[in-house]
Amino acid sequence: MCVGLSAKVVKIEKGTALVDASGAKREVSVSLLKDLEPGDYVMVHAGIAIAKITDEDDSETDLLMEELL
Amino acid sequence: MAGQNISAREIITSYDGPKLRIMEVCGTHTHEIFRLGIRKLLPEQIELISGPGCPVCVTQVGFIDEAVMLALEYGATVCTFGDLVRVPGTEMSLAGARAKGARVQVVYSPLDAVTYAAEHPGEQVVFLSVGFETTTPASCLAVEQAAEQGLTNFSLLTANKTMPSAYHALKGSADVFLYPGHVNAITGTALCESLVDEDISGVVTGFTARELLTALAVAIKKSTEGKPFFVNAYPRVVTREGSVEAQALMERLLEPCDAEWRGLGVIPQSGVRLREAYAAYDARKKFQLPEIKGRGNPACRCGDVLQGKCKPSDCKVFGKVCTPQHPIGACMVSNEGACSAYYQYGGDFNA
Amino acid sequence: MRDLAVTLAHGAGGKQTSELIDQVFKAHFANPALTADDAAVLTAPRGKMAMTTDGFIVSPSFFPGGNIGKLSICGTVNDLACMGARPLYLSCAFVIEEGFPMEKLEEIASAMEKTAKEAGVQIVSGDTKVAGKGQVDGVFITTTGVGEILEGVETSGAMAKPGDVVIVTGDVGRHGCTILLAREDFGIEADVTSDCAPLWGTVQDMLEVTKDIHVIRDATRGGVGTVLYEIAGQSGVGVQLDSTAVPVAPEVQGVCRMLGLEPLYLACEGRLVIVTPKEEADKVLEVLRKGKYSGNAAIIGEITAENPGRVIMTTEIGAQTVLPQPGGELLPRIC
Repeated sequence: MCVGLSAKVVKIEKGTALVDASGAKREVSVSLLKDLEPGDYVMVHAGIAIAKITDEDDSETDLLMEELL
Repeated sequence: MAGQNISAREIITSYDGPKLRIMEVCGTHTHEIFRLGIRKLLPEQIELISGPGCPVCVTQVGFIDEAVMLALEYGATVCTFGDLVRVPGTEMSLAGARAKGARVQVVYSPLDAVTYAAEHPGEQVVFLSVGFETTTPASCLAVEQAAEQGLTNFSLLTANKTMPSAYHALKGSADVFLYPGHVNAITGTALCESLVDEDISGVVTGFTARELLTALAVAIKKSTEGKPFFVNAYPRVVTREGSVEAQALMERLLEPCDAEWRGLGVIPQSGVRLREAYAAYDARKKFQLPEIKGRGNPACRCGDVLQGKCKPSDCKVFGKVCTPQHPIGACMVSNEGACSAYYQYGGDFNA
Repeated sequence: MRDLAVTLAHGAGGKQTSELIDQVFKAHFANPALTADDAAVLTAPRGKMAMTTDGFIVSPSFFPGGNIGKLSICGTVNDLACMGARPLYLSCAFVIEEGFPMEKLEEIASAMEKTAKEAGVQIVSGDTKVAGKGQVDGVFITTTGVGEILEGVETSGAMAKPGDVVIVTGDVGRHGCTILLAREDFGIEADVTSDCAPLWGTVQDMLEVTKDIHVIRDATRGGVGTVLYEIAGQSGVGVQLDSTAVPVAPEVQGVCRMLGLEPLYLACEGRLVIVTPKEEADKVLEVLRKGKYSGNAAIIGEITAENPGRVIMTTEIGAQTVLPQPGGELLPRIC
């Protein structure tokens, strides 16, 4: 239901951040997130950053597999 | 990297236990599962059911009628996500209204609709606010921004829905649920965790190939253990608390209301609307819209499809009268809709 | 004294019309065949001839990597090239909106001159109409082209055969992506320029190493995905596509991820889909990779007897899925 985009924060100004996804850049609202810094990764949906994420990569799923299985 | 990936895949492909019904609740999951070809990897005993988690698919026909009326009769500029443009209303879709001269703007974000309103003070701008917990905060932020800027030409036509009651309504439709990752990013996982007490099992699932395969492997492995379970398989985005800020924002602006789900009917307290303090931003109140009861095509079985009661191909109009080019039900319109996905990716082919 | 903008008088057929033609069009398109007479008098090509026509209504008229003028030449030249035809003559008809800046029109004509020259084609006939404000969006151009089919060359969308390989001459979706961004509807910025290019040279190079090419198609509206379905339908064959082999610029991929779009459906204006017997593929690929507009050429799939009329795709996880048949207006998918 919710197309998400992982993107890197390039700069932040007053609740708005410029994010970069493989060279596609757009301003998104980051007013729902605290302590965000350029270089952080966020998950973006419909023009707002909904979560700060550890990394753009999904490789930590592998750790989960190791723990669980 | 590939090593673990293969093992998730091996668990899926080598499953030979009893029949297992897994429902992907979220429409984006449906879309990605088809796009990646994951269905073709599954052994026969595993049935994947596409759930009601596509906001476009569950949006009632009357909502489109309201939007068309706002655009054509009230002369409002309707801003919408692209997903809704081709959804049929009783008489016509928004694309149809646009052909009759209505102003319909496709936007990426509700915040863009606010910007549009600020740049076009002579127009009344209505944003079609659909979506679940993931999307709803963006609409709330839009209202807050409009209020801050003192805009009087921006409002929302709301059809926002919340997932918790849907999980209960779906109980029994599947053995395991793949929970929507981005809804959980906002709400946190406490609710889904507590569903274990009601014997509802599920895995919070991400959206990449690796995340989807892992979640499926976890669902299969845990099912064989025989106990109800909950696993967050999308920890890089989803936490137990979720987004406290987003929750507070929604609480501030919105109150629960009964909501009509296309196909599922009215589910009490399964929707949200703007609180009285924000009535000026509620298009229904602002324009004093009459109550509209939309009429869907009676042959359309989107409702049964959404509940996993039938497959798209069981519907009489599927693929004949109802195609992505000429959709009858919403499930055929949305790229995430089960019917559209079955039509476009489905059918037998030799691989 | 030059007018600053096009007026209805420029389309009325009088003195101002002549001035517009002389100062803008003749100044750029001059060649012996382009005269003041009612029709161009031409020498007929020797063998078989190809003819095609195309209307151009791109909005905005100017975009990174080109403008509607360049596009109107490339589109028609490329359609001829796809039939193995050396482009010889073009006609062009303009419908211009009242108030369109003269300077911009000049820029469009200049781009047409340059592109026609590169493709080796002469603009031999033209027409200018001016429509009232709001009746057209800026400028519309229709070009018609005639070309001479090289001897021994026979291409058609109906000639793909099982076992043939499918080649694309470069990364896909750039033009569509560029236009999407240039319309500024979604607030997205990316360093993407249109792939718009005249491809006769590309085709000529290829035909020099082999004439045994079954299909050449330029992937315009609807992108490479649409072309593959057309070939599958016309030839009654299946297409087995390797999704990981399709070249896509990272920026285009980023924009597509943002808007939930599929690069295979985005328009190209300088990309060919080529279907050739397997034995010829290496030669073709080698010559393409040396070309000005085809350095990223890649084999993206093969033609199969199975699944006639369909495009089956090997996905990033090695599974099989159907490439959905493109259709309708491209709408971003958000929720």
